[in-house]
Amino acid sequence: MTLTTHHPESTGAKPPPLPKGTLQRRRFVGNLSAAAIFLTPALALIVVLRLIPVVQAVNDATHTSLPGSTLPPRYVGLDNFTALFSSHAFWSSVQQTLVFNVIVNPLQIALALALAVLLTQNLPATGIWRTLVFLPAAVPMTGSAVVWGIALRPDGPVNAALTSVGIHQQPFLTGQGQVLGSIILIASWIGVGYWMIFLIAGLNDIPAVYYEAAAIDGAGPLRRFWSVTLPLLRRPLLFVLVADTVSNFVLFAPMQILTDGGPQGKSNFLMYDIFHNSFELSDPHTAAAELLVLLVLMIVIVAVQFRLLRSAEES
Amino acid sequence: MNRTPPPNPGAYVAQKRSRTGRVVLTAAALVVALAFLLPVLWLIASTFRSSTETFANSSSMNWHMLWPAHWTLENLHSAIDNGFLRNLANSVVVAAVTVLLGIVISAMAAFALAVVDFPGRKIVFGMVVLSFLVPFEAIAIPLAHTFSDWGLTNNMPALILPGLGNGLAIFTLRQFFLGIPSELAEAARVDGAGWPRIFLRIYLPLTRPALIGTGLILFLFQWQAYLWPILVTTSDGNDVAPVAIAKTFAAFSTDYGRVFAETAVLAVIPAAILLGLQRYFVASVATTGSKN
Repeated sequence: MTLTTHHPESTGAKPPPLPKGTLQRRRFVGNLSAAAIFLTPALALIVVLRLIPVVQAVNDATHTSLPGSTLPPRYVGLDNFTALFSSHAFWSSVQQTLVFNVIVNPLQIALALALAVLLTQNLPATGIWRTLVFLPAAVPMTGSAVVWGIALRPDGPVNAALTSVGIHQQPFLTGQGQVLGSIILIASWIGVGYWMIFLIAGLNDIPAVYYEAAAIDGAGPLRRFWSVTLPLLRRPLLFVLVADTVSNFVLFAPMQILTDGGPQGKSNFLMYDIFHNSFELSDPHTAAAELLVLLVLMIVIVAVQFRLLRSAEES
Repeated sequence: MNRTPPPNPGAYVAQKRSRTGRVVLTAAALVVALAFLLPVLWLIASTFRSSTETFANSSSMNWHMLWPAHWTLENLHSAIDNGFLRNLANSVVVAAVTVLLGIVISAMAAFALAVVDFPGRKIVFGMVVLSFLVPFEAIAIPLAHTFSDWGLTNNMPALILPGLGNGLAIFTLRQFFLGIPSELAEAARVDGAGWPRIFLRIYLPLTRPALIGTGLILFLFQWQAYLWPILVTTSDGNDVAPVAIAKTFAAFSTDYGRVFAETAVLAVIPAAILLGLQRYFVASVATTGSKN
């Protein structure tokens, strides 16, 4: 093995015609330029679609201007934030958003998991049941929102069904106590099937031998779910939990189309409030400050979820 | 009559119980699926009857809620007469261009992140994942300000651009590319093939199901889009279909027939696509949660 020198800088008497170091360097440069070319479009999109808007939001949030004025916006530092933090409406919006998310995310994931387990039991025509449950996710959210909006009207079919079993007409989208539940119903009808597909994919990935071993040990269905399914489904569950939380934090269409944040601000979640401030109240500066608060809130929640699940995984 | 007991009584009982169990579970699946389907059936029925009939029949429960007494195409005609086909065409073009370009861009990025060995690959991958963890809607409003500063509103590129950068698509394809044995790329390298050739001739053909699944992810994003289109389009002619529906709903709060017809048309297209391609979607998202 003295003929092939792996290190050209070593004391080899005659260097081979193509020293490996040159090859390696050429390869290195080739890989780097290939990676740069392959990644350029995606990285350009990240800069345009994610970085520039955040810079724009910081810029908007630290300036102020009068609506309709031609004067350039004036730098005000953190004034917009202090104004926001002393506003009762803002805190009520934060509170509504958190309450909504604390209920809707666990609910949707529990339902999606239950459906995923049910529809991976080798039942007849499973493909059809899956498609039907998934279908609402494919209907554009505006369509789902208006159809549910009409269905939940005082003279709509849902109230008709309730009346026929002796329950009075309910003010689903206009009752202060019911609007939250109604939005949760609409969002879940849309979302549960979508997340179910991710969990079905995760369940299919669990090797059957684990179940066979558990069955031989005499574990019943509940025990198998608890000791085999849940631990092995942790990663897909984490993904779905994070993705679902993130998407529910920016839920927008149902409020904008059906409730305008009402009644009495009960569905005035942050994302809708930001839109409302920005366009209906023509106050992009407050809206930008509020948006940054929403972003920070979301990042904190996602980080906590990752941390919680990681520590659960290690223990 | 002398009945011989089954060889293993325990197994027999388990089998029998599981048969009853199967019937119960199938019934449960049927009921759940119908619960999800019911609003869709009501939507379709309401598309083919007059608005007056829709509400006359829903004030009391009867089967005409889901089956029109008098079928009519009036609602579909009304939607078409009011230019819904133009909006639908906008949606189709936006979605189609997004799917084609988006697959190319995501696959290229995923290929570099999974196959090409370069320094800082992990950091770039982490950056891609993190930047796409922030949902697009959250930054849509400030981005719309930027777009209007650039004069990029009211046109197709403005509608298409946000759909192209999809972290889930990149992540999914990367997982699939990682699953392809690296010996294949190595062998091709030894034979003198460059990275573009390896990408086009080896990786893309081997990952066709994942590419279809990614296409579905990109399609659903654009087909659903609502906030961004209302931010960057101001003329009715440029509206995508979901925006047109919301406007119809807001403007004609007594005539819901058109809203139903437009929604039904908008729902049928993805439903048909999904019926054919659902398994690719399941296969492609299978990797999102597993390993890393």
